[in-house]
Amino acid sequence: MTSGVLLGYCGAVLVGLGLFGLVTNPEILRKILAFNVLGNGVFLLFGVIARRGAAAGLGADPVPQALVITGIVVAFSATAMAVGLLVRLNKVSGQTIMTSDDPTNSGK
Amino acid sequence: MAPDAIVLSDATTADGYLLVLAIIFPVIGILLTLAFGGRYVERIALVLLLAGLVVAIAIFAAVLRDDQSLVYIVGNWKPPLGIALRADGVSAAMMLTIAVIICAIGLYARGEFGQSQATVPTRASYAFWVLLLAIWSGLNAMAVGADLFNLYVALELLTFAAVPLVCLKGYEETIKAALRYMLFALLGSVLYLLGIALIYGAYGTLDIALLSDRVRPEPIAWIAAALMTAGLLAKTALFPLHLWLPPAHAGAPPPGSAVLSALVVKGSFILIVRLWFDAMPGLLSFAAAQLLAALGAGAILFGSVLALRQARLKLLIAYSTIAQIGYLFFIFPLASGDSASTPWSSIAWTGGWLQLFSHAFAKAAMFMAAGLIAEAVGHDQIADLRGIGRALPVTIFAFGLAGLSLMGVPPSGGFVAKWMLLSATVMEGQWWWAVVMLVGGLLAGGYVFMVLGKALSSTTPPVLRVSIPRHSEVLVLAVALCAVLLGLVPLQPSEFLTIGRPDIHTTALQ
Amino acid sequence: MNAEMLLVLTLALPLVTLAGCLSRQFRRHVAVLLVVAPLPALATACLLADGSTVVLPPALLGLTLVLDRPGAMLLGAAALLWITAGAYAGRRFRGNPDGARFAVWWLMTLTGNLGAFLAADMVGFYLFFTLASLAAYGLVVFDGSPEAKRAAAIYVGLAVFGEALLLMAFVLMATATPDSSLLIGDAVASFATSPWRDYAMAFLILAFGLKIGLFPFHVWMPLTYSAAPIPAAAVLSGSAVKVGVIGLIRFLPFEVPMHNWGEVLVIAGLFSTFYGVAIGITQANPKTVLAYSSVSQMGLLAAVLGMGLSAGEKSAALVAAFSATFHVLVKGGLFLAIGVATPTKRGVWLVFVPAVVLALGLGGLPLTGGALAKLASKPLMGQGIVGVLATLSAIGSTLLMLHFLRRMWSSTTQSEARASLLPWLATALVAIVLPWILYSVVTDEPLRDAMLPKEIWEALWPVLLGSLASLALWRWGRLLPRLPAGDVIAADKGLVRLADASGAAMEKIDRYLREWPVATALLVGLATLLSVSASLGR
Repeated sequence: MTSGVLLGYCGAVLVGLGLFGLVTNPEILRKILAFNVLGNGVFLLFGVIARRGAAAGLGADPVPQALVITGIVVAFSATAMAVGLLVRLNKVSGQTIMTSDDPTNSGK
Repeated sequence: MAPDAIVLSDATTADGYLLVLAIIFPVIGILLTLAFGGRYVERIALVLLLAGLVVAIAIFAAVLRDDQSLVYIVGNWKPPLGIALRADGVSAAMMLTIAVIICAIGLYARGEFGQSQATVPTRASYAFWVLLLAIWSGLNAMAVGADLFNLYVALELLTFAAVPLVCLKGYEETIKAALRYMLFALLGSVLYLLGIALIYGAYGTLDIALLSDRVRPEPIAWIAAALMTAGLLAKTALFPLHLWLPPAHAGAPPPGSAVLSALVVKGSFILIVRLWFDAMPGLLSFAAAQLLAALGAGAILFGSVLALRQARLKLLIAYSTIAQIGYLFFIFPLASGDSASTPWSSIAWTGGWLQLFSHAFAKAAMFMAAGLIAEAVGHDQIADLRGIGRALPVTIFAFGLAGLSLMGVPPSGGFVAKWMLLSATVMEGQWWWAVVMLVGGLLAGGYVFMVLGKALSSTTPPVLRVSIPRHSEVLVLAVALCAVLLGLVPLQPSEFLTIGRPDIHTTALQ
Repeated sequence: MNAEMLLVLTLALPLVTLAGCLSRQFRRHVAVLLVVAPLPALATACLLADGSTVVLPPALLGLTLVLDRPGAMLLGAAALLWITAGAYAGRRFRGNPDGARFAVWWLMTLTGNLGAFLAADMVGFYLFFTLASLAAYGLVVFDGSPEAKRAAAIYVGLAVFGEALLLMAFVLMATATPDSSLLIGDAVASFATSPWRDYAMAFLILAFGLKIGLFPFHVWMPLTYSAAPIPAAAVLSGSAVKVGVIGLIRFLPFEVPMHNWGEVLVIAGLFSTFYGVAIGITQANPKTVLAYSSVSQMGLLAAVLGMGLSAGEKSAALVAAFSATFHVLVKGGLFLAIGVATPTKRGVWLVFVPAVVLALGLGGLPLTGGALAKLASKPLMGQGIVGVLATLSAIGSTLLMLHFLRRMWSSTTQSEARASLLPWLATALVAIVLPWILYSVVTDEPLRDAMLPKEIWEALWPVLLGSLASLALWRWGRLLPRLPAGDVIAADKGLVRLADASGAAMEKIDRYLREWPVATALLVGLATLLSVSASLGR
């Protein structure tokens, strides 16, 4: 088993864990963390693909690396915004759990 | 293959720079507000809204005149290493719709988020204008993107700009709604990204034109397409993934609801269509198309019935959005049928896009009208809106016109779209979608008349807390009239919406 | 002023008047506006030659308007009724601030009504049909009483249902027409070769049957006509319903004899004819009785059209239009009569006596328009069972109309203050005179034939039998059950509960689907399902 395949499996496991966490955890912070784990799994997959595309003297295909960098920036800003919203929610209501909503109450 | 077909989409066309302007102008606006400070944000935004409208009209005119798509190769690096921006007929029409609606919403929002000279700008109004510009930039980028990853970035920009718009008012419920929207949308994005990873791994490119040639019907393509579509469906809030939409759209401030319902949910829909018809043609099996349309049918029936049961006006309109989004998904089984030689020459293609445009105008008008009503009487409980037609006749008239478009009553864009889609069901022999569409029209009539009946009942009108300026009402009417004007489109497959389609496919054959 | 301009003006003037209602100046003259608005339509019907056409520019949807003979007859009679009913309404609402609101709905219904008689393409017809149906909602719900609201809700629900059926029929017809022409003439001509012929016919008959009140879609009529104000009831029952009739006349392919569908129409029509009488005689409110009379008369009309369709007889269109024309004026006039009936001597001579003549005309009283209509339709109905039933229906109509007259006499409290007699008298006069003028247009028979003693006796004996039956009804009428207006729809309580329960169930499902774990699990499941379905190939 080459390192590429092993890392690929790792990525898949991360994706699975992240997905599971995102679906099942009621706490919002854990959902955000699970989203990050999920994202990292995808980035790992990109890395494997980059390795596979090594050619023309380069150690790895540069395009997926560029995609990963962009993806990291996106995930970072997403996490920042989500955490910001969570902090605001906690300040306003003291809650940190995602409850099922009652839409008739949502704002005015 | 004709050699002149190669030239078209590999080089920047004469007016291609307009595409860059369309994406950049709103961003310039945001940078200017950072430079000049919050006091000028409204003025800067309005100036740039106008500039953007001019650019959108110019793009539309250029595509119409040249009868080919506009292309811009960024930095002159050709795909697959570089990025191309392409505006075909559909994109140009989309951008014009977006521009008109956003300008209207901008003018409308001056009532709630406008700033007079003397007052200190509030954070909410500052945020609103910046977010409006960001959403516009994201939508334009989605319309002209020709590369899957480019579209991913545009998608994220759109989501990140839309989420804070939901909780602009700061109540606990709106923050919860925003968080729910954010997390669900992020899950969608990640699935989309996963799909991109698989596609790149299999085919080595993300450019749509190149991909359309390399994609083969094999498991990796199916899985990638499925992941991407599922992710995008989460962002489009197609039934049963609609959990975030009602509280989000009902809780946002009225101009925010208008832009969210009319435009933001359509952004991810455009991407789904590009995926199945442009990037991976031939992959859309009969079963997959029927599945998507079945979900659409579920959305129509579910959303309409639930809209009938709502007590609040804004929630009714939000559930109506869920229902109307379902209509869009009939484009999949009907446009890819066998009776038309190419998907875009079928009448379902024109009907589907027309449904999107007319719903955008109608829904924007409805939310703006609901905003005026809520401002005038201080609440939006439908049962307490009796007789409001006397107090706000123009607004209710606009609401009625928008409702007629949703019901599919002539003359309106909704009627023309419905006729075209029904014709397509007859020609394809898929009559079951016709039944769903007709039932949907009935139910839409139900909830529209529910509101209109209350508004036009003969009791004395409620006391208005705040008087609504005439120009706001007229603005809402103008947007509703746009939905009606779309009814003047002839009942044939539109030539404009087929401009630029062959470019994508002949390029791939190189 | 040439033909094209007059045709355009027919529709333009009501629309301009409608726009004018926005200004306060105009609103003060509502009474005049309501009378003036249908005048170009009257001029069109009387002056323009058969076949005058105008095609509107694409900016106005490219609609085609054409005046053919059935359309001209109905247009003229409708215009007359709208004018007289408009005069009545103007007088009734004078000084009333609500008058402007009434006028808006009135003018919209008027435009739709007139447009439907003139439309020559399917989109135009659908537009005017929908306009007339939906705008009538405002007329029905005008009083704001609970009965009015219920009637309006049922009406608009059924109207929207009918429109959905009609749209499907039109789409089926348009798809079968070569080069997808939207003209009605082209679409009907392609019926012979259309693969969706039967579906289109089914939808057409259902949609127009709903509009004219064929059983079991008649349930909205009694409720609507009782709840609407008198002038509105007059135009709705007199003229708006005839949009369905003109639809049948224009869209049924008389060139292609369709035996099955013709039979369906005949059976449904004859059933409605007798059903309307049966339920009508149990009603106490004269407005409701008139509504059931409409059900009955429209049923007979449908039977005439059905016989024409079966036999491939084009003359059925003209005969049906002639019958319908008479009915427009009579039914509208009788509603106006309810509004002006008083038990004074003046009332008796000026209201009841003409009302008797008009009402019995529906039963086929000799020398009235009704008798002429029945005479004209005799060759179509034939001598078989259909012909016999048609003759027997005259007995039923007479019975029902005498019952109506009695109810009108005993409920003169319904008459309204400040109602002027002039509109009623004008309508009655035209109703008596017009059929004689039009008879020669409709059939080739000379007018003298209608006055032969043989024909007079043929028309008279059903009326006599009906009068005898009505004496029996007077004597023993108390034994009849008291049915609620709308009969079948009284079961709507159960339907409402069912709808409510299913709505609540869907709400519960929605609440479940909107749980985060459920939705996200569905998302993942959907991805799997999509990949599987994509793999299933074409």
